[in-house]
Amino acid sequence: MGIEEEKPKAFQLKPMKCEFNFLSKSDGSAILSQGDTVAVVSVNGPLDIKSTSQSIEKSTLEVLYCTKGGKPSVADRYKENVIRQTCEAAVLGSLYPRTGITVTIQELEDFGGLLSCCLNCTCLALLNSGVSMRCTYAAITCAIDESGDIVLEPSKQHLDTARATMTFVFDSREKNLVTSVTEGVFSEDTYKEALARCHAASDLVFNFYREIIRKYANVI
Amino acid sequence: MKVSIDDVVLPGDYCEDIVNAGEKSKVILGPGLRKEIDKVYITKSGVLRKRAPNTYWVDSYQKRYVPSRAENVIGVVVQKAGDTFRVDVGGSCTATLSYLSFEGATKKNRPEVQVGDVLYAKMLIASKDMEPELVCVDSHGKKGRLGVLNDGFVFKCSLNLVRKVLSPNCPLLNSLKNEWPFELAVGMNGRIWIKAKTMRETIAVGNAILGCEYLSDSEIKSMCTNIASLLAGHVS
Repeated sequence: MGIEEEKPKAFQLKPMKCEFNFLSKSDGSAILSQGDTVAVVSVNGPLDIKSTSQSIEKSTLEVLYCTKGGKPSVADRYKENVIRQTCEAAVLGSLYPRTGITVTIQELEDFGGLLSCCLNCTCLALLNSGVSMRCTYAAITCAIDESGDIVLEPSKQHLDTARATMTFVFDSREKNLVTSVTEGVFSEDTYKEALARCHAASDLVFNFYREIIRKYANVI
Repeated sequence: MKVSIDDVVLPGDYCEDIVNAGEKSKVILGPGLRKEIDKVYITKSGVLRKRAPNTYWVDSYQKRYVPSRAENVIGVVVQKAGDTFRVDVGGSCTATLSYLSFEGATKKNRPEVQVGDVLYAKMLIASKDMEPELVCVDSHGKKGRLGVLNDGFVFKCSLNLVRKVLSPNCPLLNSLKNEWPFELAVGMNGRIWIKAKTMRETIAVGNAILGCEYLSDSEIKSMCTNIASLLAGHVS
């Protein structure tokens, strides 16, 4: 992580704000804003599901993603899949066999980095719901611009002109890479550098999680 | 991350104090803790607590009930199936309740339980792989306080609030019980049943309970006197 020491100020993320129990009726919910990008996530479960989708060894995770327009598309299905697989790595599903956990995500505002905002918000909603988890995770998005520079947490303008965008998810235990979603053209070295930068930036997200939990722990 | 007792914890953190204590004597891992190979990992977010000598758990926020053994719960009968009742307790599947597990029940003398009745029952079996089973008697065959709850009013709340109300340190019930008479049954599954003389009094108890979730002990006391004076008609 040599990059971190050279440019410590480069690891400023967009301001994050979060509220738990945003929805009163769901088992766990959170609203998260990263800069101007906002998402709401509701978690319900473990609950009864129809026997065809039950698994005898672990709980079934179902992720529903709703865009602002409300029209489902193939890209949304792909996003759902990415989020579901990431959640499955974090949730201890083996403690709740033959049940289902439903995660519903609603996009509110997209000014760049929506996928990482959704992933982080999902993690916070899962924490709020009290579902047992193996670890938490943090998602960071970065973009490679025309000149080949790496921009952490790019804005909408950056994304429009970017050569490539990457989203990385790290777990909280060993800070291992859980998910990597990339789009566009880039070299192997750029990928490695982006990975290292996002890895360092993920600590900020984990610190943010701890701050939020500390704030809410006062009232329990 | 390494954590110690009374810290704010997140899933994936590990605690070495517990492992060290475990080398000397037996330790009890409560909710939110899990042993994996040679470390004890946190699985829920909240505050890590310890009770002497060797009990550890995580105080966390939760709304959804996951059945666990020997807890008293409030359930609603949803089905009569032969010699068992199916009871909704708010978990992932309904619990079963045999008609023989009531006081004085025999094959000929069946208890009078209808679909839709509210029950106060104890979890006899609760494991993740099996359907939970309830009983309405203790080990001596006496019903004690368990059984069908007639009349009254049931509402849902978070599991933390239930634990707070039942905690011996909570001044809520002690301040309320002197103000006006009422009956109360608190289920560990986040359901509370109240019965008072009038509807006004019932609603007052319900509001007092729901209102105390985020209040400190002294605030709870002043809220209770407030509600009592409102109810008595001193303040309109």
